[in-house]
Amino acid sequence: MVSTDQQEAFIRLVDQHRGILHKVCRLYCFTDTDRQDLFQEIVIQLWRSYPGFRGDAKFSTWLYRIALNTAISDLRKQRPPTTSTSPDQLPTELQDIQYSGEKEQQLQLLYTAINRLTEVEKALTMLYLEDRTYQEMEEILGITQNNLRVKMNRIKDKLRKMTKEAAYGIG
Amino acid sequence: MELDNLKVVWQVLEDPLSRGRRPGDPAAEVHAAGMSSGRESLLPLLQQRSRGPVARMRRNLRIELLCIIVAYIPLILFYLVEFQGRLRAISLLLILVGALFCAYYYRKSRLLTTMQCPACQVRSNLARQVGTLKRYTRFYLLASTIVIPAMAILTYAIFHLRLFYPGDGIVYHRLSPAPWWASPTLWLLMLVPLTVGMYYFNAWYINRLYGRHIKKLQELLREMDEE
Repeated sequence: MVSTDQQEAFIRLVDQHRGILHKVCRLYCFTDTDRQDLFQEIVIQLWRSYPGFRGDAKFSTWLYRIALNTAISDLRKQRPPTTSTSPDQLPTELQDIQYSGEKEQQLQLLYTAINRLTEVEKALTMLYLEDRTYQEMEEILGITQNNLRVKMNRIKDKLRKMTKEAAYGIG
Repeated sequence: MELDNLKVVWQVLEDPLSRGRRPGDPAAEVHAAGMSSGRESLLPLLQQRSRGPVARMRRNLRIELLCIIVAYIPLILFYLVEFQGRLRAISLLLILVGALFCAYYYRKSRLLTTMQCPACQVRSNLARQVGTLKRYTRFYLLASTIVIPAMAILTYAIFHLRLFYPGDGIVYHRLSPAPWWASPTLWLLMLVPLTVGMYYFNAWYINRLYGRHIKKLQELLREMDEE
């Protein structure tokens, strides 16, 4: 039985780390409904697992594990995007974002490219962008650091290629 | 675009607090989609039930159990009480099948409990899911295939051994002496193709239910392992 104090502590912790949950939902889902479903599912799984959290690992590491496990395993979420991510349409899409500055456009471009990666590659890219060390990545994903480095280099090449193709309208 | 150059952009722009509420803004989308945080929005989520694949499987299993209980208990009572208790053998048969189902339910429920470990490393959780799901489907295939021959053999045993045999013998009178079609050998011979047919049908059905899921999990696992 979880006490009210524990419940409050849990809510405080999740609230502090909500950015991670939003990023995972954004990376793994294409529609608002799917994002909402995934967000709820992650919070439910976090709450269920919370009594088992002993603080051996950092809260963020524990949270990443549960969020990524839920996002990757819950295969209902793998629905096609509602908007096209075809590289030759990227410039038009980007032009439509009136408010965005250069950096936001870059981020949008990055998201579009990440959407074409596999579930595992998405997880790696996200942890890399979050500036997690390879040791932390290993703790979260269970992949050896050497293998992580190899994979990360491949992903960087892949993203570079994708965005270059998008810029030149090659698809 | 260099990934390393985007780290700062990602970390700053993707923080929901750092973003405004402009139309089309991902952070605004997040809030519109009901993903806003804070005590008030998180609290109701804690009371909600999971809608993940394992939770759905568990729910289906409970429905299966409920259907069996709803269908079997009245039938068992009916054959115990009606016809002056002369068809109690059918009740016994249903009780035995019900007991087999309980074992089936227990085994499946145990497998579902161990299927997921959300707080484990992603790779080990995937490996656990693949292993348990394979065991689950193997057991499902075995249990759903043997149910018909098991029922047939139980029926034969109950009637052959005349368990709960009514004193006046009227019930089984017409089957004695047994006509040609009541020959156990004939029934046994018919059971073989039926069981084989059931096996292939169940294999197809289970593959339809879980095949894609297992394949996808295996692909993810393979991708994580390859160097």
